[in-house]
Amino acid sequence: MDFRERILAAVSHEEPDRVPVMGLIMDPATVSKTLGKKPANFTGMLRKPLLRNMIPGLMNVNWFWNRFYYGNTAGALESAIKLGFDANWTIYYLFQLRKDTRSTTGWAWHDAYGRLWEMGVDEDSGMTVNYSRALCETEEQWESWIEQKSNLFETLIRNVADFHKKLVDDYGNRIMPIGFATPGIFENSWQPIGFVNFTKFIFQKPDFVKRVISFYTDLYIKNLEAVMKSGVEVVFGGDDFGHKTGPMLRPELIERFFGESYRRVTDLVHSRKRKYIHHSCGNIYQLLDRFIDWGFDGIVTLEPTAGMELGKVREQVGHKLVLIGNLDVAYLLVRGTRDEVEMAVRKAIKDAARGGGYILSSSHSHPLVDPTRLKWMVEAAHKYGKYPINI
Amino acid sequence: MMISDTLERLKSGLLDLDMDTAVDAARSIAETGDTHAIKDAVDTVTNALQTVGKRFQDGDWFLTELVYASEISKEIMNILSPLMETRALESAGTIVVGTVAGDLHDLGKNIFINYARSAGFRVIDLGVDVSVQKFITAVKEYKPFALGMSCLLTSTDKEIQKVIQQLNEQNIRDRVKVIIGGAALTEEFSRSVGADAFAPDAVTGTDIVKKWSAA
Repeated sequence: MDFRERILAAVSHEEPDRVPVMGLIMDPATVSKTLGKKPANFTGMLRKPLLRNMIPGLMNVNWFWNRFYYGNTAGALESAIKLGFDANWTIYYLFQLRKDTRSTTGWAWHDAYGRLWEMGVDEDSGMTVNYSRALCETEEQWESWIEQKSNLFETLIRNVADFHKKLVDDYGNRIMPIGFATPGIFENSWQPIGFVNFTKFIFQKPDFVKRVISFYTDLYIKNLEAVMKSGVEVVFGGDDFGHKTGPMLRPELIERFFGESYRRVTDLVHSRKRKYIHHSCGNIYQLLDRFIDWGFDGIVTLEPTAGMELGKVREQVGHKLVLIGNLDVAYLLVRGTRDEVEMAVRKAIKDAARGGGYILSSSHSHPLVDPTRLKWMVEAAHKYGKYPINI
Repeated sequence: MMISDTLERLKSGLLDLDMDTAVDAARSIAETGDTHAIKDAVDTVTNALQTVGKRFQDGDWFLTELVYASEISKEIMNILSPLMETRALESAGTIVVGTVAGDLHDLGKNIFINYARSAGFRVIDLGVDVSVQKFITAVKEYKPFALGMSCLLTSTDKEIQKVIQQLNEQNIRDRVKVIIGGAALTEEFSRSVGADAFAPDAVTGTDIVKKWSAA
């Protein structure tokens, strides 16, 4: 079997020749280390007078941003190929660089949806980017934002289609790019507003919350269609519904606010004969049955630091969901020994891979995830993951 | 209306997540100017938040309900706190709290701060992206019995270890108990860096510092 056949068999709950391995976002630091490249010191450049004036001008031009961003993702796929992964998710963001006095660097990324992303620096001077705060904290600010950004949303959808198509064209014969439509409807509903404000609105202005969700559902459907135009055969979506110890919202509230939206999502993806795999961080045991009901085909990440155990999940959902992930990134894939990585891979395969329906991967990405450990993960998958599973 | 009825409205407003009822009851109590009634109202909020915490820990309530109850209590305390007698403001002890350097997430930290303040603690909030030196300076300046560090990102968890190392090097580790929490952290990590406790959520964190304070 080749990588494509292996992944497609696994997501159809058939036994491939061996357990497939995939990569998630692939942090730029991990990519640089894998490819032996020194990361560009982007925040350092922004401190230099000449570049400080030039960089934002370039970054905020659509074609330049797309070229810059494509280069990063292409690097991630090169890195995934080098590590021996069968697939890797591909994800598009449209950021604009803005001055920001509250940010430590004096600059921050604003995305099209109204979220502010802070820049930081990793150990090797590479740039880290994390969602930090909301840009539309009131109903009025949100309404104004979506009105002002209507052209940007159209640009975004066009960019998504072009981006994924180019990746499939350029890399589809060497690895399976799995198109990730992001941000998910829940995240995109609360992050531009902020979690505390969003919570208040749920209780005080539920009709406003429904309007926000409806707007982002329509946009998400367009985003998914753009991703699927590329020809990707498996689609990922992402919404962190869980936190450390459980769902962020009462499951009944999640159903009331997001159930219809996600049924629309899976209806669309299935009508195009594709699989919809959902990414959610956190402890999501209480949501798994709901995900099945919504028509999700699989779930990716399964964070062990939030108490997610593969064996327990498989016992709960059987083969109604494809399971992806669960290898720890707090210790194992950062500092774990070769033996520890091998034993963790063996256990994951033992707990989840019988009958297909399991793809091995890390449970997340961050700058300290070590390529050597990722390589050990792949080697252990080849050692223990041959079907029929006999461990 | 009797004060006891108003206190009951205050409690039910908070536990039914009815902001308007709770705030209205708090205003009614404030308007009486009765310091005993105000003290009783603050005790009512404290007890109601303990119920909220238990509901969360038992899995009956979720993060949104915990956050909203915390916001309601904040509104109530904004009305009542300025009217409290100085003696009533004496705290159960001081806690210094911050999110470690390189990390800008503060949701869990802020929920913890609200619950700890409602439990009677004086909380010094150092904010986010707090350097090792800033933590150390705050421990020396405020002399807290507990230091809380929050960390969402795995890539910044080493900052916790640096702070604890500095506390040791400056011979002030035995003056302060260290509690840590955040998505990136685990019980094992807490033990490995020499923290005194790991809190998987803000309510458990408040319970832990209460135990330390009472000891």
